[in-house]
Amino acid sequence: MNWDRRAFVKFAVGAVVGLNASPLVPKLMDDVAIWTQNWSWVPDPETGAVAFAKSINPATQTGVKARLVKARLSGQRVIRVEGDPEHPLSQGGVLAADAAAPQQSYYQAMRVDAPMVRKEGVRGRVAAEEAVQKVAAKLKALAQAGKASQVAIIADDPFSVTGEMLMRLAAAYGTPNLVFMPSAKQTLALAGGLMFGQGDIGFDLANATYTVSFGTPLLEGFGAPVAVRKAFAAWRKDPMHRATLVQVEPRSSVTASQADLWLACKPGTEGVLAYAMANLMIQAGKVDSAAANAAGFEQFKALLAGEYSLEKASQASGVPADKIKAVAEGFMKAPKAVAVCGPGNSGDPGRLFDFMAVLALNAVKGNLGKPGGLVLRQGVAWKALGGPLDLPGAPRLDGGGKRIMGSYSAYDLAAAALKGQPYPLEALIVVGCNPAFAGPQAKVMRQLIDNTPFVACVSEFMDETAELADVVLPKASFLECWGDCATPYGAAQSFYGVHQPLVSALPQTKSAGDWLLAVAKLLGGKAAEALPFAEAKEALAARAEGLGGLEDLAAKGYWMQEKPAYGFSFKTPSGRLELAPSALGKPAAPAAGVAPSKERPLLMAGIPSLRTGAGGAPMSPYQVKILDEITLAHKDQLVVEINPQTAHAMHLGEGDMVEIASAAGKINARLHLYHGAAPGMVFVPVGLGHTAFGMYLKNKGANFFEAVEVAADPGSGLPQWALTPVSIAKAGGVSHV
Amino acid sequence: MSSSASEMRFGMVIDVDKCTGCGACSVACMSENNVGVLPDETDKIRSITWLRVYQIDNGQPYPNTQIAFFPRPCQHCAGSQGHHTPCVSVCPATATDRDPKTGIVSQIPTRCIGCRYCVAACPYHARYFNWYDVPWPEGMDKPLSPFVAPRMRGVVEKCTFCFHRYQRAQNKAFTSGEAMGEMDYQTACTEACPSGAITFGDLNNPEHKVHELKKSPYAFRLLERLHTDTAVYYVSAREWVRRQADNYLSGEKLAKVQAGGGH
Repeated sequence: MNWDRRAFVKFAVGAVVGLNASPLVPKLMDDVAIWTQNWSWVPDPETGAVAFAKSINPATQTGVKARLVKARLSGQRVIRVEGDPEHPLSQGGVLAADAAAPQQSYYQAMRVDAPMVRKEGVRGRVAAEEAVQKVAAKLKALAQAGKASQVAIIADDPFSVTGEMLMRLAAAYGTPNLVFMPSAKQTLALAGGLMFGQGDIGFDLANATYTVSFGTPLLEGFGAPVAVRKAFAAWRKDPMHRATLVQVEPRSSVTASQADLWLACKPGTEGVLAYAMANLMIQAGKVDSAAANAAGFEQFKALLAGEYSLEKASQASGVPADKIKAVAEGFMKAPKAVAVCGPGNSGDPGRLFDFMAVLALNAVKGNLGKPGGLVLRQGVAWKALGGPLDLPGAPRLDGGGKRIMGSYSAYDLAAAALKGQPYPLEALIVVGCNPAFAGPQAKVMRQLIDNTPFVACVSEFMDETAELADVVLPKASFLECWGDCATPYGAAQSFYGVHQPLVSALPQTKSAGDWLLAVAKLLGGKAAEALPFAEAKEALAARAEGLGGLEDLAAKGYWMQEKPAYGFSFKTPSGRLELAPSALGKPAAPAAGVAPSKERPLLMAGIPSLRTGAGGAPMSPYQVKILDEITLAHKDQLVVEINPQTAHAMHLGEGDMVEIASAAGKINARLHLYHGAAPGMVFVPVGLGHTAFGMYLKNKGANFFEAVEVAADPGSGLPQWALTPVSIAKAGGVSHV
Repeated sequence: MSSSASEMRFGMVIDVDKCTGCGACSVACMSENNVGVLPDETDKIRSITWLRVYQIDNGQPYPNTQIAFFPRPCQHCAGSQGHHTPCVSVCPATATDRDPKTGIVSQIPTRCIGCRYCVAACPYHARYFNWYDVPWPEGMDKPLSPFVAPRMRGVVEKCTFCFHRYQRAQNKAFTSGEAMGEMDYQTACTEACPSGAITFGDLNNPEHKVHELKKSPYAFRLLERLHTDTAVYYVSAREWVRRQADNYLSGEKLAKVQAGGGH
């Protein structure tokens, strides 16, 4: 062929047409797209057979279903934690903390993956035996030197099997200093104990048609949060017959906004309003017979008529009288009305006066033991792990004997040990909680850890407390080990949930109970006798005997009281309701609360949120992701709320960086002007500002508990930090306060 | 294409008056769909949340302030009155398409060339671009689901109404020979919501709950006047909440717009 110009053009055109007609171009484009995106560092999760297993997350008390994938090469893993629709409390719902649980459990930078011991100031991984030996040897030496009582234990939950094992271990070893983190369960038990003679009480929210919540974050962490939401969803189900929700608190919170009516009261006056409503009911002659026949009713009536009249309460609380009256009337008329008290917005255990005022309001209404009212719980019939043990004779560091019913207080223990009165601490053991962060007054707890010669910690996470400890024993997550949790705060029915190992734990981790058993075994003697179990599962099985056995319990995942027990009885000394409890000799009355001063003109309170976490556990990376710019901004700035008028008066504006200082400490934050914030207050998100936990959480925001100042509640003597007087100054300059 | 042309039209009805902004839906979605986490997630332009929960307030002074939450998944627009699904009509790579059978707007990351036209076109900020490779530090990759491919840097991703769950439900229906029921296909966020604020189903199927719920006098959609014909309805008895679903003039009446007054 002659290769001339014509032939060339024909060839070129043919080539172009041919190439376009062939699948080569699209195929190559497709391949390029695939090759360029097939990047080795993008993970390729291995697939496998899917299975489900039931469990319960003890941190949130949500009944869950774990979705497991059994892969051929990488073994079984949890890919999701979902709600369990068959679970009576949570009915298929979950919280952000539940949904993110697998991530938190697997993410190793957060976890403690091996036992650690500090040698010459440097923390290093050691074998489990060495770490346990170190703890046991120290405890043994102290016991031999007659200093057993100078060992303190701080733990998270007195009602779990670990809690019971700790009680036995502490008693057998010989220390009276076992305390648990403060909880509203304590305050409710005290209030119930004083007025009814029994403290195992709950609120039948699911059946209530009119609910008044006094200063407690009903939708932001109260009780088992999913169960409360299920009740809330039921209230809202039928638009024609909606149940009414009234929220009493200073800030326009989620609960206040979702409520049908929000009574914006001055901080700390929630109990006053409960008394005022009870007074209105007494004046209207709508008093239940149990209340009318109560011990001290006349005294109570006179007190309310004198001090808690509508005008006085309106003035004290700042809530217009007609609003108080409207709620009192609604409460009076509703067939199933309940007044609710609970943990405070700062995560505090609540004020005893508020709780007693709320219980009195319920008693006046006459909803005790009735559907939709205040109910007695049946109790969880678990079997004790052994016979009773003699309690050590040494005085308790937390001064428990001086408080009503001898309730414990981790904060008072720390304060007394730091003063060395009546004696200092030689060793501290922290189990499953993080007092160096969550305090409640973080600095005091850190000082305690710093000043105590020996600190051991059983922890799932490398948290602030673990970072300071001499020995760290790695705790398995709830997906990896046996464990339990009991009735959530305020639930109407008694409940007991069990979790079991679903995935193989990090090789060196064990349940807290197993670590305790290892220590007890080495201690020998009474301590070993008090815990005669080979593994924590045996202890759980012994406990579960009273509830039908561990096997059945584990298969179902829980035991629950069938239905709320209606009917009420009083076990007080008088055998009646006591509106002027015999232990107090008069009706409960508020003592002077925390007040702002010239130096510290604002009151600081926490912002409870299910996004920033529930139950004191750290947030998972996914939870950090859902924080809005009104909580965390510009990488690491904590955002706090202040009323625009208050800010204006102090010459502060939106986005100003400020220093919030209390007598206890200070934090830096960014201001957000929010109309829903009560004037004269500053509201701080709780749960941020960790100095541990790796790149997703470390140094993000500031820790509320650094600025918290704890005071004893005048009623209960328990630590109280709902409000802290603070000053605010522009960071780097002085504001015009 | 109008919604009536779909055989099925999957969609949601979200009760704003039940939503408490806890974020469970958002986290359940991330865990179901292998969404990555960057070291800094405060930059919301670059943070990927297929289902973001927005907080709004009524702007009233104390003590009349109220807040509410808008969970916002992809709205799965159909487009009506001559309008298109905004993202689909601009995608040059056919990486996103609206399935006329289900009404679901898909997103195929492996086809995406990263031009971000769709991100710009979406009136709901529901589309996210992977500006960075997601770091998957030790252990973080372990709970990844094998049913949704993790995405790479340089592509766009968004809510798919958990389309893999639809496929699974279809497989189940095929093997069992029974028709796919309402509860066979539910999104992860719907299941997770502890308040039951989200209801999911076929908007065209009278047997599904959403069919009735969307007819509520309080039901509305976001930016209705754009004629995007979205598949996500919201319900709120509070007028101030409904007003924030679109740009109203200060004196404009809500009812007029809802009646379809349009521009």
